[in-house]
Amino acid sequence: MIQLVSKRLGAMAVIILVLTAVVFALQKASPFDPVHSMLGPSASREAVAQQRHALGLDQPLPSQYWHYLTALLHADLGMSYRTRHPITADLATFLPATAELALFALVLALVLGTALAVATTLRWRGAGVLRFVLVAGASTPAFLLAIGGILIFYQLLGWLPATGRTSFTDAPTGPTGLLTLDGLLAGRPEVTLDAMGHLVLPGLALAIGPAVSIGRVLRSSLVGNRRTDYVRTAMAKGLSEGSVLRKHVVRNSLGPALSMTGLQIGLMFAGVLVIENVFSWPGIGQYTSLSIPVGDFPAIAGVTLLLGAGFVAINTIVDILQAVADPRIDV
Amino acid sequence: MATGSTATPVRSRARPRLLSGGGTTRLSQAAAGLFALTTLIALLAPLIEPYDPLLPVGQPQLAPGEQGFLLGTDSIGRDILSRVLAGWQSSWWAAVIVIASGLLVGGLVGLVAGTFGGIVDNVLMRITDTFLALPAPVIAIAVAATLGPSFAHTLLAVGIVWWPFYARIIRGEIRTLAARPHVEAARLAGAGRIRLGLRHLLPGAVPTAVVTASLDVGSLLLTLAGLSFLGLGQSAPAAELGADTAKNLSFLLQDWWIPVVPGVAVMVMALFGNIAGDGVRNLLGDR
Repeated sequence: MIQLVSKRLGAMAVIILVLTAVVFALQKASPFDPVHSMLGPSASREAVAQQRHALGLDQPLPSQYWHYLTALLHADLGMSYRTRHPITADLATFLPATAELALFALVLALVLGTALAVATTLRWRGAGVLRFVLVAGASTPAFLLAIGGILIFYQLLGWLPATGRTSFTDAPTGPTGLLTLDGLLAGRPEVTLDAMGHLVLPGLALAIGPAVSIGRVLRSSLVGNRRTDYVRTAMAKGLSEGSVLRKHVVRNSLGPALSMTGLQIGLMFAGVLVIENVFSWPGIGQYTSLSIPVGDFPAIAGVTLLLGAGFVAINTIVDILQAVADPRIDV
Repeated sequence: MATGSTATPVRSRARPRLLSGGGTTRLSQAAAGLFALTTLIALLAPLIEPYDPLLPVGQPQLAPGEQGFLLGTDSIGRDILSRVLAGWQSSWWAAVIVIASGLLVGGLVGLVAGTFGGIVDNVLMRITDTFLALPAPVIAIAVAATLGPSFAHTLLAVGIVWWPFYARIIRGEIRTLAARPHVEAARLAGAGRIRLGLRHLLPGAVPTAVVTASLDVGSLLLTLAGLSFLGLGQSAPAAELGADTAKNLSFLLQDWWIPVVPGVAVMVMALFGNIAGDGVRNLLGDR
């Protein structure tokens, strides 16, 4: 077990190292000159040379990469050209809003995916409609789901808010940064309820694509496992269908669905960048889309490192969990 | 394998059929025919566009059907139908280029790894697995944003993250084929490695490659639309489906069709791709 965990963690470290190398290489390939971005176009030649030296940009590439890595280990991602704040501080400001949205969407995706899989496997009434939902859901861009949701649930029905995280101007800002939790901690349940309402539309827009993928994988392993000998044995013993499903089939079908969930988180991270734009959600996504047009490379690199490392870490945990749950898995 | 077999992505391989119960051959053929229809629309787009997609041709913000504009006009009076057709064409080209380059690079890596085996296989697949372990859409966004927005940069960005998936699958197929008697016979007859790879292994991997690529079209179109939505595509005034939605979001509550119609076009295209991909898989056998 210890060997397995250390092997997975070792692989994770290598992949994250490659990620930093990719981001570093991108920075070098970028047509935007960091010195010019900092000093402006009218800086004198001497000032540019001086700044270049101060940033270590006149050194050979391997040594620049080494400095980059040591800075990263000290959580130093550089300064944003746009906000003039350290990237780490910016990310810390915007991360909670994104984390709350992504977590909410993940829970929704798991619930919807499971419902979809179980309903189509057991051929519940209306499962045919769900089949259609599967096909359509896999083909719909998240931004279309988002604007469709706004048109129906905000404009037409007036049930849900369409922008931002909260309707309160004095919403609590700490301690967790997650409004749903902070509302409860501050003893203001109305803030929590309002925050939940704001989460529904962006959460659904983010969750439907991954839910479809998770649901499909879960469905195919459910169908496969229902045909196995041990299920026939369990049925022959006289166990009810529901009990066989819960105790035998679902348990053995979770592995592939769990892997798929880990992978879908990568898509969800990309989806967050798009969806936050539509809903003016004050998170990492908005931060990124404001950084893209002005060529704020350190900010984009910081977001890439954060999301990339998060994705790799989550999938490592998923792998380890899977090996723990199923000893047959050889890592 | 240090990066772990459980981390191998199941991007579209693991999914069950969309068409009910496998479907008949004719149904599958009709489904696969949607690829031809999509291509036809893309290639004929300049001929069937009723107006110039880049120039204002009518009053702004006309609703669909008003004054003969089937899908209405946008905020400066450009014909939305013409813009959707032009956007369809550029999405089609983007998908074709990314898939072709993915098959070329991934196929080459997979072929070399599968044919040579041993240390070559090990090194190439470790590199592939490392790329597969990174979140492809996020890396693509980073690459496109760093190089600066342009059509070529977007294609490059998506191309960079798209090949490892093909490399894995083609390598697996080649390894399976390498154990077949006909390959052993060729080897005994004195065929060199390169001849073995190109003549005896590669042709056998083609159907798998075609099925993988066809199943991939839908998700590729969605990824490309997402990048375009973030402003990482062609610059204005070019017609792009994702960007046309993003730029017109402010009209959503008054003139919903201006942002919605291009988004629906993305959906229709991805839907065609997904259904056609399933049709191709049914026709070529489940791989």
